[in-house]
Amino acid sequence: MDKPLRVVIVGGGTSGWMTAAALTGTLKPNICRVRLIESDEIGIVGVGEATLPQMREYNEAIGIIEPEMMARTNGTFKLAIQFRDWGFKGSEYYHPFGKHGQPLGGIGFHHHWLRARQAGRAYDLEDFSYAVVASRRQKFEFPVSDLKAINSTYSYAYHFDASLYAKYLRGFSEQRGAVRTEGRVVDVTLDPLSGDVASVTMDSGEVITGDLFIDCSGFRALLIGKALNSPFESWNKWLPCDRAWAVPCDRSPDFTPYTRSTAREAGWQWRIPLQHRTGNGYVFSSGFIEEDKARETLMANLDGAAQQDPRLLRFEAGRRTASWTRNCVAIGLASGFLEPLESTSIYLVQAAVMALLRFFPRQKIDPVLVAEFNRRVDNEYDRIRDFLILHYHLNTRDDAEIWRYCRNMSVPDSLAEKIEMFRHRGHLPAYKDGLFSPASWLSVLHGQGLVPRGYERLADNLEFDDLVHRMDELHGKIDARVDAMPSHDAFIRDYCPSPEAVPLERAGAVA
Amino acid sequence: MSRPLKSVVVVGRDAAAWIAAYGLRFAFARTGLEVTLVELPSLLSPVDAFAALPTLSGLHRLLNIPEDQLLKASGGLPTMGQRYANWSGGKAPFIHAYDTQPVGVNNVDLVQYWVKARGEGMGVEFDDFSLGAAMAKAGRMAPDVDLAAEFSRPAHGYQLDAGRYVDFIRARALRAGVVHCPSSQVRVTALGDRITSVTLDDGTALQADLFVDASGSDALLLGQLPGGDFESWADLYPCDRLMAASGPALSPLPAFAHIAAFRSGWIGLYPLRERTALVAAFDSKDLSDTDMLQRLTVLTGLKLEGEAVCAPMTPGMRRGWIGNCVGVGEAAVCVEPLDAVPLHLIQTSVSHLITQFPVDADDLAEARLYSASLAAHGRNIRDFQLAHYRLNQRRDEPFWDGARDGPVPEGLAHKFALFRARGETAIYDDETFQASNWTSILLGHGLVPGDYDPRVEMLSPEEQIRQMQGMLGFIAGEVKGLPTLDEHLNARPSSIGSALFG
Amino acid sequence: MRTTIRDIVIVGGGTAGWMAAAALSKVMGTQRYTITLVESDQIGTVGVGEATIPPITLFNGVLGLDENEFMRETNATIKLGIEFQNWRRPGHSYMHPFGMMGAEFSGIGFTNHWLRWVKAGGDPDNLRFSAEAQAALAGKFGRTTDGNPNLPKINYAFHFDASLYAAYLRRFAVARGVTRLEGKVVDVTLGAEDGYIDSITLEDGRVIRGDLFLDCSGFRGLLIEQALGVGYEDWSRYLPVNRAVAMPCARVEDPVPLTRAIAREAGWQWRIPLQHRTGNGYVYCDAWLEPDRAAELLIERLDGEAQAPPNHLRFVTGRRKSCWEKNCLSLGLASGFLEPLESTSIHLIQVVISKLLALFPKNGFEPLLIARFNREIERDFTYIRDFIIAHYKTTDREDTPFWAYVKHMEIPDSLTDKLESFRRRGEVQAENFELFKEPNWFYVLYGQGLVPDDYHPVADVMAEDDLKLRLAQIRSAIVQRVQGLPTHQAFLEKNCSGA
Repeated sequence: MDKPLRVVIVGGGTSGWMTAAALTGTLKPNICRVRLIESDEIGIVGVGEATLPQMREYNEAIGIIEPEMMARTNGTFKLAIQFRDWGFKGSEYYHPFGKHGQPLGGIGFHHHWLRARQAGRAYDLEDFSYAVVASRRQKFEFPVSDLKAINSTYSYAYHFDASLYAKYLRGFSEQRGAVRTEGRVVDVTLDPLSGDVASVTMDSGEVITGDLFIDCSGFRALLIGKALNSPFESWNKWLPCDRAWAVPCDRSPDFTPYTRSTAREAGWQWRIPLQHRTGNGYVFSSGFIEEDKARETLMANLDGAAQQDPRLLRFEAGRRTASWTRNCVAIGLASGFLEPLESTSIYLVQAAVMALLRFFPRQKIDPVLVAEFNRRVDNEYDRIRDFLILHYHLNTRDDAEIWRYCRNMSVPDSLAEKIEMFRHRGHLPAYKDGLFSPASWLSVLHGQGLVPRGYERLADNLEFDDLVHRMDELHGKIDARVDAMPSHDAFIRDYCPSPEAVPLERAGAVA
Repeated sequence: MSRPLKSVVVVGRDAAAWIAAYGLRFAFARTGLEVTLVELPSLLSPVDAFAALPTLSGLHRLLNIPEDQLLKASGGLPTMGQRYANWSGGKAPFIHAYDTQPVGVNNVDLVQYWVKARGEGMGVEFDDFSLGAAMAKAGRMAPDVDLAAEFSRPAHGYQLDAGRYVDFIRARALRAGVVHCPSSQVRVTALGDRITSVTLDDGTALQADLFVDASGSDALLLGQLPGGDFESWADLYPCDRLMAASGPALSPLPAFAHIAAFRSGWIGLYPLRERTALVAAFDSKDLSDTDMLQRLTVLTGLKLEGEAVCAPMTPGMRRGWIGNCVGVGEAAVCVEPLDAVPLHLIQTSVSHLITQFPVDADDLAEARLYSASLAAHGRNIRDFQLAHYRLNQRRDEPFWDGARDGPVPEGLAHKFALFRARGETAIYDDETFQASNWTSILLGHGLVPGDYDPRVEMLSPEEQIRQMQGMLGFIAGEVKGLPTLDEHLNARPSSIGSALFG
Repeated sequence: MRTTIRDIVIVGGGTAGWMAAAALSKVMGTQRYTITLVESDQIGTVGVGEATIPPITLFNGVLGLDENEFMRETNATIKLGIEFQNWRRPGHSYMHPFGMMGAEFSGIGFTNHWLRWVKAGGDPDNLRFSAEAQAALAGKFGRTTDGNPNLPKINYAFHFDASLYAAYLRRFAVARGVTRLEGKVVDVTLGAEDGYIDSITLEDGRVIRGDLFLDCSGFRGLLIEQALGVGYEDWSRYLPVNRAVAMPCARVEDPVPLTRAIAREAGWQWRIPLQHRTGNGYVYCDAWLEPDRAAELLIERLDGEAQAPPNHLRFVTGRRKSCWEKNCLSLGLASGFLEPLESTSIHLIQVVISKLLALFPKNGFEPLLIARFNREIERDFTYIRDFIIAHYKTTDREDTPFWAYVKHMEIPDSLTDKLESFRRRGEVQAENFELFKEPNWFYVLYGQGLVPDDYHPVADVMAEDDLKLRLAQIRSAIVQRVQGLPTHQAFLEKNCSGA
């Protein structure tokens, strides 16, 4: 009786298959039928992808088994992002998936830490982050659920090969009824009356009709952009990077349970360790460096032999003003782009997919569901945007033009106020939906070198000796517990070894 | 370096003034903050009462006030929620319980399953799936252990005798060292947006690093500063007048407050331990005070004790913090006494002021944070209250027809539309009431979603019936085993709320 | 067991659907009951200019509609009666105005006194004693709310645009919480055990369950006939017309407060003046007239420029054998069809709605209650049918095969008795519950040329000068009343001018 909604996903890749897997994994076939069009000719951007802990919710929601997924994608664990040379040359800090310390007397730990600091006790804030300490020592184990335990205060995510992840999800989706069509889309037909997408035409001549189209065609934005002309809002003035060179290299013994981001003269370089190799890339601004020069910089800064020629990617930071327009929902790069500085690409796909499930339409698309979808997706983009700009803006580097430009540019009011309030009294932004948590803001605001002038006065209520005692105790507890953790490498070999894994003992013959 | 604040002068009366003075003194006495309260003549009458949301316990924990002491001293009662009657034509009353519904089934909210089941003919109301509502209906109270099911986690709010509650806080404030200066009025001297002093009856001029305006809707301080203009919401609210009265205690004690609509407004019954507080909100163009009083007796069926008092109501708000003056409670945001929010707004503003207490007397940058957050809270609370009015289904009564057809602020309109379409709630930043609260009142007032989340279908119809029956059975079983409110009060009270700053 | 009634589903918008939705939402409310109306934009409603009869004001009154607003929203004009042209014979015309004729005295109907007076040589124009007819002839109207007991009331109804009326009631109903769903019903699911309707399925797969269903789906009877198969009682042997062609034309004069029904070669033509245009239609029998020719003839006879292409309708006069079957009621065309000669279509919808409200099921469907309901509806339909048949049967015309047929056709016994009674003593002996009362029958039968042989003996008791005085008083009150009225056009402009 029920007439399923015909969903046509244009484009495979991570976003296409994440959408397909979620739709087939959580909706019955009488609600929707999923058809995914992809072409083997069109490569996907997947040079080692770093993720956020939220990804585990996605995997759980659709029923993915973690060790299996990790083994199949050469996955490794991620506890933090390490930022080198960002605030100033020679600096190093971590943005961990976890808190710094424990609140005391209802007051955020960093206020107590600030108080101790102003009183001359120069504790290292990062020593109080379990995830940072474990990262530094390249250890890993799962956090425990007992909230009183010190090793419950962090979370984790993955590094993996995104193309293998897409392949894994493809198997998952096809088992659940998604139909894949090989080929390229050569034309999009709009309904002359409604203006909705009526069908797409394949290079084979086949015309594929549908009720709801998901545009996962990447930067090309075949449907949302080319066919429907949904406007794109550029954030280039705040996030000037518009190119990236990407290259995999041989695995090195430096097997970090974190992503590394190193600031360079016109952008930054990523390093993502997988089980069989290491992903690298240089995100840069073409306005501040030549493409060739950037390529040289990347190749000169690999810690293993390059496994192929680097590939160049072009992009522009920004987003569609309406990711869902008419009967077309853009997910992934088709809906917008934010550089992978905080590993948000897959998170943004996930957020859009989850919102799509929540507001999944029936035969007639209700505009209020579309409005709410767009409100939530916009909110996600806007929050992340501010957080990314923060990294660029808050620096004291004087060695390259891009850093001077970013330091002096005017930032969105929403961000300027956050910076000012942290500077004034260590205040951290807290909001309802979207990334990032106050703890994340703390790690970056502090890591970029901003020292608050004041702290919450309530912190003064704690006896100072008592505070010092508690801080020492906490530090000791973290230190001891991290010592007892297995190494990242040992943990992976035990839990989710990939058949392709290159043993660490054989890694490191640096070319 | 920054210059810490040394002195605060609070100007005002009653709950807002005493909670602010006590809160600030309690939090910052050790760091040397002097708090002076210029107390204006009280406007409280013996019949007044406060209804409070569960979040009040947060402030009390911060101020180290044990719940049992508080309830005893203020003749108060714990309460599981509010019962709305006669708001919707012939529909049965519903209970807005203070539950949260932390998780649904398979990551989908329970309400989505309910909408599907209802469409298939199920007759069970949504509040039947709330443990708190079931406790309220059965007049039961949980002892201090957390009673919770996965699908419904109850919490209790309070009803308090206003005068005795203020006395209780006042005694603590004076013990804590708040300097008390009664004055029948104050004269404010300001330079630009900074108050330089307030002058009392006897000519004493008080200076301070920070002034707190707790003078209620008069806003004696804020109202005189540039930018302190009042944004009136009178055109949004249909009532403009309040009446407070008192009747005998109910027996057995109900575990809820009862909010009944009538032809020209609503009447609230707030059970206290030794009496029942009555509040009526009405439109003075519709009804004189005398007529209101007569209806109050007839409609509640209670013999009134003591005098009934009336006061105008002026909903609206103004900027919460201007220069060196901070407004708390009604001086900043003034709404109806519906949904137990007036005390909540006092508590929210004082809590904000404590956690955002300025670090530097020469740079009060906190003003922006405080004002923005309080304004957002105020608007969201206003919208929650307006939802009751806009969704009423009393037809062909001019008051209610007008209340239904009144303007709907944009955010609220989106909430209505989204809920109507899909049973989803759009929650914005700085919302007092969360999705479970909104769902409760929107459904309760008869806004039934036209569609549900299709993920619901993953559960087979048999399994869904089994699960829902399981929930109803669980609730029935749990509630049966609980003490009645009277039994609960007679049992030895446990101590809730431990000291944070011993 | 079907014990609780909560979800009411109305299938079909249009006048019937929205009248039901509006009345239910007003009277039963949408809190204890949910009311869902399913309509499809694809299926056009039969929305032509519609004429009504005075009880419509009661219906609007129950809803609490502001009459001026209602008239403005539906482009309505006032109707004081129907003018029948060519019915008795070509060139002849008479009127059936609303309201009483004269005023009752001596405990017997006015017509008795009047017949005595005519027989004694008085003016045989009976319209002189109808305030409504006099106002209509003068093109005047005003609401007689002055409360002067010495002057006659003016009874009235409306001409309006039925699709605008439906749209107006739709806004009313939706504002009161009726849910409107757009979609086409493709399936009806019956309970396996009791055969009651469980749910309907829309084209897009949505399933709408309900406890009580109102079939307002038009001639097809989607629920009552296609799903429940109650059967149809065919009345075409008495009322052979089976087609209509409708067409609006431009307004050429100030609207007259009268519907016009003009007998034509194979049926009759209506003319209904609205504020902005005039509705026209030709109701005929296709055994004697081809549809194309009917349309041609209609166009020729329009008094203004045609404003839309002809709209052809088909029907079979008759009624659904059960108006209420199991948990389904039929309204409007789904419940039966009687040609609009006496403007009864909307009234019959109203009758079903008011009976439903009076006998609204609370705890399940009681067979006794349903049987009574159906009995009463059958009665209402049947008596109206007889009244309509009377217009044809009493004609003098035999000039076309159609008129020859209707003049000589067999008629129901119930009608034979009425006509016989009228001939003998000027009264049809109408039952109390009948919609059309003695004055209505009198206007029509007298207009058709039936002159009673006698009248009630009490009429002879009064002294002749008393009778004359009485009649003169009544006549003068009517003249005075009509003189005080504004013109119909002025009334419309002042109170309810539409687009």
